[in-house]
Amino acid sequence: MDKLVRTHLPRIAGLALASASFLAVTAAEAKEITIWCWDPNFNVAIMKEAGARYTKAHPDVTFNVVDFAKTDVEQKLQTGLASGTADALPNIVLIEDYGAQKYLQSFPGAFAPLSGTVDHSGFAPYKVELMTLEGQVYGMPFDSGVTGLYYRKDYLEQAGFKPDDMQNITWDRFIEIGQQVEAKTGKKMMGLDPNDAGIVRIMMQSAGQWYFDKEGKPNITGNPALKAALETVGKIMSANIYKPANGWSDWVGTFTSGDVASVVTGVWITGTVKAQPDQAGKWGVAPIPALSIEGATHASNLGGSSWYVLESSEEKAEAIDFLNEIYGKDIDFYQTILQERGAVGSLLAARGGAAYEAADRFFGGQKVWQNFSDWLAKVPAVNYGIFTNEADLAVTAQLPALTQGTPVDEVLKAIDAEISGQIQ
Amino acid sequence: MKNPARAASAVLTYGFVGLMAFLSVFPFIWMVLGATNSSIDIIKGRLAPGETLAVNVAKFFTQVNVPLVFWNSAKIAILATLLTLAVSSLAGYGFEMFRSRRRDGLYRAMLLTLMIPFAALMIPLFIMMGKAGLINTHIAVVLPTIGSAFIVFYFRQSTKAFPSELRDAAKVDGLKEWQIFLYIYVPVMRSTYAAAFIIVFMTAWNNYLWPLIVLQSNETKTITLVISSLASAYYPDYGVVMVGTILATLPTLAVFFFMQRQFVQGMLGSVK
Repeated sequence: MDKLVRTHLPRIAGLALASASFLAVTAAEAKEITIWCWDPNFNVAIMKEAGARYTKAHPDVTFNVVDFAKTDVEQKLQTGLASGTADALPNIVLIEDYGAQKYLQSFPGAFAPLSGTVDHSGFAPYKVELMTLEGQVYGMPFDSGVTGLYYRKDYLEQAGFKPDDMQNITWDRFIEIGQQVEAKTGKKMMGLDPNDAGIVRIMMQSAGQWYFDKEGKPNITGNPALKAALETVGKIMSANIYKPANGWSDWVGTFTSGDVASVVTGVWITGTVKAQPDQAGKWGVAPIPALSIEGATHASNLGGSSWYVLESSEEKAEAIDFLNEIYGKDIDFYQTILQERGAVGSLLAARGGAAYEAADRFFGGQKVWQNFSDWLAKVPAVNYGIFTNEADLAVTAQLPALTQGTPVDEVLKAIDAEISGQIQ
Repeated sequence: MKNPARAASAVLTYGFVGLMAFLSVFPFIWMVLGATNSSIDIIKGRLAPGETLAVNVAKFFTQVNVPLVFWNSAKIAILATLLTLAVSSLAGYGFEMFRSRRRDGLYRAMLLTLMIPFAALMIPLFIMMGKAGLINTHIAVVLPTIGSAFIVFYFRQSTKAFPSELRDAAKVDGLKEWQIFLYIYVPVMRSTYAAAFIIVFMTAWNNYLWPLIVLQSNETKTITLVISSLASAYYPDYGVVMVGTILATLPTLAVFFFMQRQFVQGMLGSVK
């Protein structure tokens, strides 16, 4: 025994020393990138996929994707930034596009500019615009909410309309079609939640306007697009071509149950539409209707979010390189997340991949992803400003007045007063 | 029941009580029914038992590291409860037993802290924990809760009913103050402790905002944070969320039923 120890001890000690120093070396080189985001089936799953791809090429970098609710991520980010406790923050965080400017402007220097590293010209321009502050681009554009008009081909055919009749129409034409659809099929044209200003935002951005102008000042009473949008919503209501919905789930129920003939919303709804196998082959997608004003287009956006790197984080360089390698260049990654998660990214080159070119049997063989990526490049860029959520509340509060027949100019004045009161 | 007016009033009373009972039980029934239905059926408003319970449970267990998450919650809740009871009951005992000129001023100042909303304390507290290097630890979740002004208040009020003769007798028998507390006070105040246990355990188990702020990784998260994350997906699977909610309710339910008798006694006043 003694002999055994004596002969083996040096070796064991040597091995122990070697492994200890080996551990020390890996500890010094291994980097872990912490990421905060929400939705385990969407953002979290996509980020894990992205991380796995990067780790394959860079085995020394691992990822820790932490999932919280969206409001929880915002709360934690706010507390972490306000307390100035740098080690309490992640390396990368997901921020909803409507709130991006609020964080960038409220916490100057907190986020790392990516302009030098990432080639932002390859992304949809409107996504880049919303994360730009004083000439610097701060984020990595992620999922898009490019909008489309989803319609039931079977109902419209019964009413005498072909898919061609749905292309590039105006909202006035949309309402006419809606009236005929109801007369012939008894179905309403769309679901509408009077407490959700989403449809107003879609119409307004499609004409290149927002609640705020380029300088971030409220743009309400003199905003032709907002006026036209409110007028259109008023017309939809007085023509009574909508099925009222109470809250998000109820609104989703209007089309999953087959009660309405169309849906105008962001591309992320596709998965929900396709979740009804009995409706396969009955749906088509067209560009959204346009307002009848100058600058009106058939492309808009609803929702979406992007990745941001914290300036104070120790692994800043690795985090930026990771985002650039995967989200900035990996076309194949975009095919995977589209196929597996239904995520439409904002990298324009991704549309050349196989998944984007595939025909979708659910939509009768239409190449819907190609269509959406066409429209993605055309979404007008606007300044979401720092008070979009407050403005949205003001609009929602005034929607009932619109139904009661209050003139649109007065509604606009009321919205303007409410916003000015809130953001002083 | 011969008197028709009396019968009518009984019908009204029972009708009202029944309605109230239904209103309070309904969310619970809905939660249980929801766990057996698919997300789509829940959205459609289906109110009958469905067939997807097994699927929902299986999904919950694959999406969530259930043993770890429950262990985190249990650890925090039990630690917080034991420490709060120990510290706050001592304080309540002290406030009532020891007379001094500053006692009531101090007591009132302590009660005033109940009026400060937690949101105002959050950032300073977070900075403190950051400086102490306790961010992302369960200790950081427990520490701020153990000096609970409300529980001190509760113990002081209950201690008013503790007969001072008992303390005097114990003193005559030669017991020291800590012995009086441990061997006389604690056993006599059993039901007060039980009631406080339930209150503190429930608060700690359901605590949301502070754990959310201070816990940073998937490994330290509690069940409330996990459910919140599941429920905020773009398309939440409500069936799975309901399974999680039911599982999260069970421990508090168990604690409550286990200590129910003492709880009621404690609320009525522990010393008869």
